[in-house]
Amino acid sequence: MFLNMKLLAQHTLNGFGGMGEGTAMQMARDGRRILWLAHESAPKNFTAVDVSDPRQPKVVVQTDLPHAQMRSNSLEVAGDLMAVAYQVTKFGLKPAGFELFDISVPEKPKSISFFDASGPHSRGCHQLWFVDGKTVHLACADPELKPRNPKDDQIYRIVDVANPSKPVAVGRWHLPGTMDGDDAPPPERLPAKFDAGFRAHNTNVYPERPHRCYLAYIDGGIMVLDISDRSRPKMISRWTNSPPYNGFNHTALPFFGRGLLVVSDESVKDNAADHPKLVWLLDARDERHLVSISTLPMPPVDSFKNRGGRFGAHNLHENPPVPGAWRSEDVVLGTFFNGGVRAYDVSDPFSPREIAYFVPPAPENAKSGAAQLNDVFVDDRGIVFTVDRGGGGLYCLEMKV
Amino acid sequence: MIPDGRTPVVVVTGFLGSGKTTLVNHLVKSQAESLVIVNEYGDVPVDHVLVEGVKEEAIALPNGCLCCHVRGDLEEALMGAALRRRRGEIAGFDRVIVETSGLADPGPVAQTLYNDHALSRDYKLGPIVTVVDAADREARQASADIARSQIAAADVVVLSKVDRTADFSEVRSEIAALNPTVECIAAQYGAVEPHRILETKTGTDHVFQPAQHGGAIRSFSMRFERPVRKALLQHFIATLVELRGKDLLRVKGFVPVEDGLVAVQGVRHVFDRLRNVSPSSKRGEPALVFITNGVEQGDVQALWTAMKGLS
Repeated sequence: MFLNMKLLAQHTLNGFGGMGEGTAMQMARDGRRILWLAHESAPKNFTAVDVSDPRQPKVVVQTDLPHAQMRSNSLEVAGDLMAVAYQVTKFGLKPAGFELFDISVPEKPKSISFFDASGPHSRGCHQLWFVDGKTVHLACADPELKPRNPKDDQIYRIVDVANPSKPVAVGRWHLPGTMDGDDAPPPERLPAKFDAGFRAHNTNVYPERPHRCYLAYIDGGIMVLDISDRSRPKMISRWTNSPPYNGFNHTALPFFGRGLLVVSDESVKDNAADHPKLVWLLDARDERHLVSISTLPMPPVDSFKNRGGRFGAHNLHENPPVPGAWRSEDVVLGTFFNGGVRAYDVSDPFSPREIAYFVPPAPENAKSGAAQLNDVFVDDRGIVFTVDRGGGGLYCLEMKV
Repeated sequence: MIPDGRTPVVVVTGFLGSGKTTLVNHLVKSQAESLVIVNEYGDVPVDHVLVEGVKEEAIALPNGCLCCHVRGDLEEALMGAALRRRRGEIAGFDRVIVETSGLADPGPVAQTLYNDHALSRDYKLGPIVTVVDAADREARQASADIARSQIAAADVVVLSKVDRTADFSEVRSEIAALNPTVECIAAQYGAVEPHRILETKTGTDHVFQPAQHGGAIRSFSMRFERPVRKALLQHFIATLVELRGKDLLRVKGFVPVEDGLVAVQGVRHVFDRLRNVSPSSKRGEPALVFITNGVEQGDVQALWTAMKGLS
């Protein structure tokens, strides 16, 4: 299925094509464009693909995790540095945190340091943001804290890596009421079948407003944080859609020039059992007062919910402020699992329009029976790179609008 | 720049036997991602393309225009295809190719796209391609009004059956007189490089001397040396349409406005909404081309001058 998108190539990554939500581009010193991809689950850690010619992607390196009770899921690249998140499947396991690599020679990533966040109440790091080469903003447990509910372990943390060999934690923030010792009462939880935790997910910080973090907090909504004092982030505003919706706010992407925030949910239940999982447009001209003004039009749920696996919003192209990345405040691209990758014209934010999409056929041996597109990155040539959660690996697409 | 995700609808028109189906056959051989809409199932190959069969039904509107019947078959076919694509029931298509019946005025097809707001969210008018039999002048003379309308509306004219006539300079002159900006491609058995048709820009920026033909067809261009207010341009077009919409066989081109450049596309009394386009969309200086049925350049220019002066 397609509209204004053309498949240039698919690469199943040596049979390990189940990919997570870490997709970042390195403009290598030798001129190559290297796409670094985090895997969804063990045994693989990350894979680097030379996408200089998007019609002929080539794997340049693929690495293994230390053990099977962990996943990398998320990574980011800043220059020749790469940060890779490590999340474990059980509290207390190691390694839990993130690892920094020197990727100046893409074929030979060299470990520089490891930031340890393991502990009896920690599952480590689920997601990180690293675009300036100096600071990692991450959704990660802090061993110093004990969550009142184990699902709430991952908070917003700031780690200074100006000296990459010695990462230093410099700040943190969690939703008041979620940790032992908090004055605030515990937040009211969503119904058990949708309770995914009050914990951090995406932690976006942009050079346009270096003192703001756009934080998505799963069942807690999204927050704009003042991080001018990194040691004491303060919440400026919070917006939530749940209840009555079913939680799992995933990303808050600011369009500074438009005064907009683009907020994505994540669908986490098969067959759209947690529908609707949407992408919301918020009027953020006054960052203290966020107002929902529209949602991106999804394909009909009845036509997709029984195709297999999940259907609904997930990752967005996040306009990363790094060389090689495409940046737009008129077009939003996102992945929607079996709904594929979709692009929207939001030039009129009250009436967003779908302008392109691509839904691949089910990858070979797909457990869900359908494609499950998980993450998307667009480069400054307009090439769309999207990955499948189930096994389809990497798809390189040309967007024709 | 606002991206335009609408699917182009290529309209292929021309007299019965002029070679439309041969041309469509040729196009779809190399352009697999096409939805072809034909009047009746015929010789269009179905491999790799989607074919919809429709019967066009044209009715006369009170203002004198011909328009496809509201919710007629063509609209239903286009709407149905968009819905099925959206639901994932069909793979998708990069373009629609509509082959009109031999004696059809292509205007109504274009009007269908612009008139129906729901359709115009999914589709936009692509090139109008008129197939002209180089060796059959008599047929054009026998139905002169239709022939002129088809040529006047065209973005591309494909001259077919060029092997059957030694000298087709006369037919070229005939075409140029009616539509001075049109690209004219000579082809045998529909063999045209697809990009010459499918990538033809539907606007134009050629400035040319006004022409007057046998009959009432007029063609002329209007230049805009300075950016104009978009709102004024919209008023101008609306006024022109109100006064003489039925006689505007084709209006197309680019106009500089306060925030860039807009494409203008109109057929008879309906116009696409003004859309900002990239400066690279045009060649040369911006201009609006008019091909009209008896509407004189002086009157159009005077209307514009008056509205500009009063605004």
